[in-house]
Amino acid sequence: MSTIYKISAAILLSAVVSSSCMAAKPTLTVYTYDSFTSDWGPGPKVKMAFEETCECNLSLVGLEDGVSLLNRLKLEGKNTKADVLLGIDTNLTADARASGLFSEHQLTVTNSSLPNAWNDDTFLPYDYGYFAFVYNMELLKNPPTSLKELVEDANGPTILIQDPRTSTPGLGFMLWVKKVYGDKSDEAWEKLSKRIVTVSKGWSEAYGLFLKGEADMVLSYTTSPAYHIIAEEDKRFAAAEFSEGHYQQIEVAGLVAASQQQGLGKKFLAFMQGEKFQNIIPTTNWMYPAALDRASLPEGFKGLVEPSIALLFSDSDIANNRKKWVGEWLEVMSK
Amino acid sequence: MLSIEGLEFCYGATDANSSFPMCFDLTVNAGEILSLIGPSGSGKSTLLKLIAGFNAASKGCIKINGQQIQLLSPAKRPVTMVFQEHNLFPHLDVYTNVALGMNPSLQLTVQQNRAVDDALENLGLAGMQKRSPGSLSGGQRQRVALARALVRKHAILLLDEAFAALGPAQREEMIALVKTMVEDQNMCALLVSHQPTDALLASKRTAFVHHGQIFKIDETEKLLNRSDLTEINKYLGA
Amino acid sequence: MSHPSRSGYWVLIVLALAVLVPLFSLLTQGNSSDVVGLNFWQSHYLRQVLFFSLWQAFLSAGLSIALALLVARAFAHHGAFPFRSLLLRLFGLPLVVPSIVAVMGVVSIYGSNGWIPLGRSLYGLNGILLAHVFFNMPLAVRLLLPVWQSIPPHHWQMSEQLGLNRWQQWRHLEWQALRESLPGISLLIFMLCLTSFAVVLTLGGGPKSTTLEVAIYQSLRFDFDPHQAVSLALLQLGLCLLVAWGSSLFHKLPDVEISLSNTPLNTGIVGRYMNTFVITAAVIFVGMPLIAMVIDAFNNSILTVLSNPGLWLSAGLTLLIGISASTLSVLAGWLLLSTSTDYAMLGKKRKASVIEMLGSVVYVVPPLVIGTGLFVLLAPHINVFEWAIPVVILINAIMGLPFVVRTLGPAMRQSKMRYQHLCENLALTKWQRFKTVDWPLLRKSVGLSSALVAAMAMGDLGVIALFGTPEIITLPLMLYHQLSAYLIPNAAVTAVFLLGFCLSVFWLLEKLIGGKTNAEY
Repeated sequence: MSTIYKISAAILLSAVVSSSCMAAKPTLTVYTYDSFTSDWGPGPKVKMAFEETCECNLSLVGLEDGVSLLNRLKLEGKNTKADVLLGIDTNLTADARASGLFSEHQLTVTNSSLPNAWNDDTFLPYDYGYFAFVYNMELLKNPPTSLKELVEDANGPTILIQDPRTSTPGLGFMLWVKKVYGDKSDEAWEKLSKRIVTVSKGWSEAYGLFLKGEADMVLSYTTSPAYHIIAEEDKRFAAAEFSEGHYQQIEVAGLVAASQQQGLGKKFLAFMQGEKFQNIIPTTNWMYPAALDRASLPEGFKGLVEPSIALLFSDSDIANNRKKWVGEWLEVMSK
Repeated sequence: MLSIEGLEFCYGATDANSSFPMCFDLTVNAGEILSLIGPSGSGKSTLLKLIAGFNAASKGCIKINGQQIQLLSPAKRPVTMVFQEHNLFPHLDVYTNVALGMNPSLQLTVQQNRAVDDALENLGLAGMQKRSPGSLSGGQRQRVALARALVRKHAILLLDEAFAALGPAQREEMIALVKTMVEDQNMCALLVSHQPTDALLASKRTAFVHHGQIFKIDETEKLLNRSDLTEINKYLGA
Repeated sequence: MSHPSRSGYWVLIVLALAVLVPLFSLLTQGNSSDVVGLNFWQSHYLRQVLFFSLWQAFLSAGLSIALALLVARAFAHHGAFPFRSLLLRLFGLPLVVPSIVAVMGVVSIYGSNGWIPLGRSLYGLNGILLAHVFFNMPLAVRLLLPVWQSIPPHHWQMSEQLGLNRWQQWRHLEWQALRESLPGISLLIFMLCLTSFAVVLTLGGGPKSTTLEVAIYQSLRFDFDPHQAVSLALLQLGLCLLVAWGSSLFHKLPDVEISLSNTPLNTGIVGRYMNTFVITAAVIFVGMPLIAMVIDAFNNSILTVLSNPGLWLSAGLTLLIGISASTLSVLAGWLLLSTSTDYAMLGKKRKASVIEMLGSVVYVVPPLVIGTGLFVLLAPHINVFEWAIPVVILINAIMGLPFVVRTLGPAMRQSKMRYQHLCENLALTKWQRFKTVDWPLLRKSVGLSSALVAAMAMGDLGVIALFGTPEIITLPLMLYHQLSAYLIPNAAVTAVFLLGFCLSVFWLLEKLIGGKTNAEY
């Protein structure tokens, strides 16, 4: 027992020592989600690139997902160690802004590649994507071409989706249906529910089940096939394009008001919009960079479905209605 | 001399089968084995547990040579108890089981070591030091327990149906061993048994325990022939 | 022994502090939301969630226990089954499989492209039950098997002589012996099923299959409503206490002392075939998803995964967490059981089982809630990054306590019943008694409980993600990282690595702590 604690104390100590040795340079602490910081995410490359120029240490703290990021910040309040928060999406920005924990970035967006204009004084986008149903072209020959077709064709494909209570894509799809069907969403869900194989906790479960062949289509992103094309040289997967447009997800970052490193934080946000950072995003986060020319995207991204209409609720709409809409969704899906 | 004066005890209400108040008065002389007989549940074993300190009496006192011991913890009492079974730790060998009685830390001096060997030899267990209890017969196991009692040299020896699992010849032999031991070491011994013959063999005096009391105490032969007392008659059968 | 050990009360106090204080500190957070009001409690949704949580947990636990009784009985009666002890060790494995991996394993077998395709009917109660039985039946077998070994051999001989048939044997011997442990084991399995989350949600087919645990997660994470989360966590705790109370009505400590023996039993030739059949079926059921996982892992990313030094660092860290949590848990369990068995010895059986139950039910307070509460409590005073490991260890140790109570409890009670008086009579000091009596007699049970708790802690994703400490990546966390980076083949390799690693640790702990004697239970 005592040896175990000696070992753990040693590990802790070394962590403390290593961080204090580097304390000569200022440290910028960024809270983000853990798939960003993992070995396979953008984190390690971003850290290296930023530290080359900033004369500082970049400490990336990876929490479970965007939602837990914001919760963590709320829990810590003014005592937070975070200087920058990176990784919440527009579903949460209204809530985040209302918390009063962020300061304005005072930067201008110059080379936005977003399909829609960006006017947010608090948050800056770094990547975006569209939710879509991904399928295997060899197994599903005639994918639906619209959300309406997916919903209404009783003999249509079976699908795997995620739960809007526990997952971002799940929430995105619920909003997508709301955007297209409005007040008639309930009926749409009722029709669709017969072909929903299951509603999983998170994206990983649903995608895993899809690869095991449990359903014809899975709720994911239009950019998912790019992973299979680039990393696995597997061209069987595609995203189905829906004529009503696709619901959009924009991931953003913001400066924490309580941070002592406002200058460095701004520098990071500017770096985030720069070419280096933006070039890392496509093949590590598998999303579209928010400030990069289409021409600079890797080959594998070029043939992807590119929705002509981007659907998005304003963040205040979501803040006001999310609970209610999730409640309605639960009601109809629990029947 | 062991004397028990007005020792009172009552099981909690949880033990419904024996929830009557008990009260004991008794003396045992040094070098004597007093037998306790009586129906099941009459309080024989309880009396032994009170003396050993496993149960705490609510009133009364236990004196050994004038010293009160009823407030001492079981470990502090000069008492050795031999149970019907599970006297030995199955994972320890015969030697260690006896040595535990000598010194629980098992750090024995040369003399102590010799005393353990002597005790084993005395009880006919020479050369069995390394045997495990599982490989012994029931009689041998009880002898090991007696050997341990021997090395402990405590003034009080309590035998709680210690020979119940043995055959007549073995019982006779064991009782003879205990007798020598008690006389040699001038112990006060109490023997609980269901066999009147054990009492006849072991004790000059025997006590009949009934309903939580020493109902009658007398010379063994006389007591066993008290046909005028229905309680004893009932117990001994026709 | 007029003074029962007080140590158990200290454990209960520390436990209450470690669980309730964080819960209440959470209440200081967030604005008291309108949802906590009557509106919420009267909602159709909550009633449905409550009903479903209990219903699926009852069914899952009932089925797991019923099957485990059959399998454990077959194992007990068939002492010579080939590879018996290896198979029994294998039965400790499902416990460590992270739920997402188990779901994939179950789907590999019963999914539409599986070996035994169940198609869409897999999703719903069927899938939940399948996965829960896969998780819990083997555990129940491990916990139940010692009961058979506690039946004295001469009772078997007696029953044979009396010509009792299998049913009468069951009723008069086995069932009587089981009455001591069955309620506790059932309660443990019930709690495991009640708090199941990803399995229920993913295999449940939709939000109809929502457990309280999901609702708690939702209120703390998505709605950030600590008040509601705490209320729901307390509701879950209350429900569990109720169930525990109910199960304690069937609880019966043995009137006569029971002995530990391991004599092979004579069963007729028919019985022998039956036992072989039952064991084989159980091994196939448990083995198939595990084999599917291993097959999935045979892909061309094996080398990439195994040559990543990060994997080995994570393995070391995972081991540290597992071993520390299990040490702490076994220590606390030992102290708790010392008190409860003292009471049992004094005839206060009710008090004894209440103490054991209180030590166990905290399992149902979700780690996420405890972790968040501890965070609220600690963050203003300390650097949480440095304390992530101790907190994770603490929480895992708390979660491991019911396992320790179940595995160590009966053995300790038995040893006390038999040797308490002798030890007192021999005037052994506490330390001497521990060294010469308790430890040698109980080390086998201690070995099993440490192995179980360590394995469980090692396979648990737990609250580590809550702290987000950059250097701390456990194996399950690494697995999730790989999955969310589309690296599904790598994740499959990591999963099997985790399994193999846990199996070796399990085996080592049982051997090292349990001693040379063949680890039978």
